[in-house]
Amino acid sequence: MADPLERLTNLLALLLETREPLTLERITHELTDQYPDGEAARRGAFERDKTVLRELGITIEQEVLGGDQAGRTAYRIDRRRYELADLDLTDDERRALQLAVAAAHTDDSWGQDGLWKLGVGSEQLSLAVAARVPTSEVLPPLQEAITSRATAQFSYRDVVRVLNPYGLLLRDGRWYLIGHEHAHDAQRTYRVDRIEGSVAVGEAGSFERPEKFDIREAFPADPRLMGDPDTEISVAQVRIEASRGWHAAGDLGLAGFGTPNPDGSVTVDVPCLNRFAFHTWLLGFGEHAVVEGPPEIRNETIQWLNNIVAAANAGDR
Amino acid sequence: MAKRGPRPAHERLKRLLVMLPWLMQREEVPVSEMAAHFALTEAELIADIERAAMCGLPPYQDELIDVYIDEGMVCVGVRRLFTRPLRLTAPEGFALLVAGRSAMQLPGADPTGPLGRALDKLAIELGDDGVVVDLDRPEAADELATAATSGERLRMSYWTPARDEVTDRDVTPRAVFTDSGHWYLLADDHRTGEERIFRIDRIRAIDATGIFDAARDVEMPDPRKWFIDDPDFERVTLRMPTHMLWMIERYPTDSITQDESFADMSIVVLAVTGEQWLSRLMLRLGASTVVLQPERWSSLAATAAQTVLHRYGVDHSAT
Repeated sequence: MADPLERLTNLLALLLETREPLTLERITHELTDQYPDGEAARRGAFERDKTVLRELGITIEQEVLGGDQAGRTAYRIDRRRYELADLDLTDDERRALQLAVAAAHTDDSWGQDGLWKLGVGSEQLSLAVAARVPTSEVLPPLQEAITSRATAQFSYRDVVRVLNPYGLLLRDGRWYLIGHEHAHDAQRTYRVDRIEGSVAVGEAGSFERPEKFDIREAFPADPRLMGDPDTEISVAQVRIEASRGWHAAGDLGLAGFGTPNPDGSVTVDVPCLNRFAFHTWLLGFGEHAVVEGPPEIRNETIQWLNNIVAAANAGDR
Repeated sequence: MAKRGPRPAHERLKRLLVMLPWLMQREEVPVSEMAAHFALTEAELIADIERAAMCGLPPYQDELIDVYIDEGMVCVGVRRLFTRPLRLTAPEGFALLVAGRSAMQLPGADPTGPLGRALDKLAIELGDDGVVVDLDRPEAADELATAATSGERLRMSYWTPARDEVTDRDVTPRAVFTDSGHWYLLADDHRTGEERIFRIDRIRAIDATGIFDAARDVEMPDPRKWFIDDPDFERVTLRMPTHMLWMIERYPTDSITQDESFADMSIVVLAVTGEQWLSRLMLRLGASTVVLQPERWSSLAATAAQTVLHRYGVDHSAT
């Protein structure tokens, strides 16, 4: 039997060269002695080869024949859908892409695989600037859904969501997906790293993205507003000490929004959708941030801290 | 090149389909150059080229792909098939766009330069993609990156949260990078004589010194390892609710295991960058998390909670 690389290459060449779609019988006839003899083994080997080609991004057209071949499936590859269009890149543009891929550190080889197709080789580069870019298997299908205006379906916090996906945003080292969620009939933001399993991409052209959609604008100003807010949002007034003010401003994206106090501290309004998330943020400041109001949130903070003291006392006994 | 096992057929085919069009544009290339370009050993390249040359269909038996190796050169005869590369797959297109857009936000990027033009050309192939990269670069990053290129030594005042103190340091910047939403400076620290990583948002002031050090190539650190490898950091063992593990997902851990006595609790061994950092973490994790080891930290959370409660006018020390 033929080497698997040889058989795959021959199959690919045959399907590219043929003028008319070929049935499996024709294919095995042309690739003499390269597929196993038994019907089931032959079908199995052919299906595996097709999967390999599809995983390389090759579209195999298939059609069911009529006439004396009625019911049989025939296959071919359309060269126009196979070949990369000439992007007309200049040498310095190729070099710039090579540097970009070297500067964006990821855990996959997608970038280099793409560069090879553009004629750019592999090279170890030592750069003075770099970014680590998180990736995930679900990002390319999500991008595909966004580009083709197809729905995306996935599981998130154990609930299946169907979305008209509008865009992907990399911010604060994380990927976020924003789109119109069908069940709530509202725009929602999701953390891509929390998507469970794979993404199913629906029919292309099934929605229109709002013309004025700008993902930077659409992103919730405060990450604590993400997810499915169905309770009323309260706002806490938090007084942050002067020495920490510069840090909080960056943290909240609220530079200049705080009210300065005479002692140099600032009081900022912090949207507080989820009390738990609010406290995990607040207590990162230790004693340098204090909730001034409203009373129910202030009391909750005191309760949270009292519980820690009480748990330690209980442990002592 | 690292030793590796036999390469599966689909990997070999994938590489072959980018090698053939590249080769056909050049007609002949030294084996060594082509192997380096495609990250293969010369033996792997020769094996794949020879195998490709054997492919054939009637009536073109053995001449489907007319390539051969002659005196250290890979050569092409008649160019028939595989003259153009495959289209970019969704992951490849995504990776190139994201790498390009990320690089556009690094210090020194030129939006009107070749990278910008390359991305415009890619966009024609890939369509309106809806992908935005926002690296939120701090102002100081550009100055530090310039110094990393020139080798200029800088004096900076730096805040260390673990000790809550600001110190002056003389450093020679070597690289500027961003990871998980923070920006970092990799530099030679002249106080210790060692390479150190600093968080750029903790740098309070930077002054040029006019002293230049010789350039030095550095390897970009793997951020998931750099804490772990630092012997300065102690370890703490926590018992915490499993559903709250996401709160520590960005910190380097040695291990996370299921607690044997409580079904919904996990045992976590965590690298500690400082006592103050740990007490803040314990406050954030709340009453259901406890320090198991070391013992001297077991009352850290309660002490920190009392300090904060004091600011609310609540005093537990009398009770």
